[in-house]
Amino acid sequence: MHRRIRSPLRKNELILTSLVDIALSLVIGFIVAVPLFFETGIFVSAPGVSRAAADEEGSDIKANIFVADDGTVLLNEAQVSYENLADLLPKLLDRSLERKVVVAAGELVEYDMVMKVLDIAKQSGAADLALLRKRRAN
Amino acid sequence: MKTASIDILPMAAVGLILVLVMMMIAPMVMTHNDTPVNVPQTRTSERKVEENATITYTIDGQLLFNDKPVADLAELENRVEMVVVNDPYVLVVVRADKHVLHSDVLDLLATARRAGALRIACATKRQKEQ
Repeated sequence: MHRRIRSPLRKNELILTSLVDIALSLVIGFIVAVPLFFETGIFVSAPGVSRAAADEEGSDIKANIFVADDGTVLLNEAQVSYENLADLLPKLLDRSLERKVVVAAGELVEYDMVMKVLDIAKQSGAADLALLRKRRAN
Repeated sequence: MKTASIDILPMAAVGLILVLVMMMIAPMVMTHNDTPVNVPQTRTSERKVEENATITYTIDGQLLFNDKPVADLAELENRVEMVVVNDPYVLVVVRADKHVLHSDVLDLLATARRAGALRIACATKRQKEQ
């Protein structure tokens, strides 16, 4: 008759797999959840005051976007929809050296609409986002 | 023959929990996001966990600097200037409600600029992919 001999080591063995699994799941869950819980941001160049365009003649292709009070979007003075803007802007920026996008908006435009345009510009590969505002009469 | 061994498992577990807790707490301590604001949602955004100065503008027109109320733009400029003097490269974050007027946000950005802020960002929230 064989007698089963238990090794004393076996009794003290730790099962690491479950702990490692839980720890790894926590880390992955945390990495996934962070962007949803915390705020992120879009870096912008602080607003400059618009001057006469004539003194800023340059050879680089410009991407000027204007959001009108009624929600109309103009790209270099041509009316475009948000979908068209997402198509046209990358093509325009590919030909630009500075890849700068200047965004201006009417007085009554909501902040969310301008951020939507900035988001599209960023997705299109804009390197620098600038916000423009009109000079106010003092 | 028995060899001396150290059970590192509890230490590793405690270390991991500490790291997770610190990762959770650090962004809360270094930023000033106590005032609830419905910031715009965007697909592209940059996340930088660093100490910043935060200008908050709520839907009801309340203006706060680092979660403390500010009376007007002149006072805001002074408060930002005090921070910028200590660290010219401090990140100034503008947290504005998505339904406020863009022209009001431009005033805040211009104020931060006048106060000498070199790095300015608009706070957004990452849009969930559909």
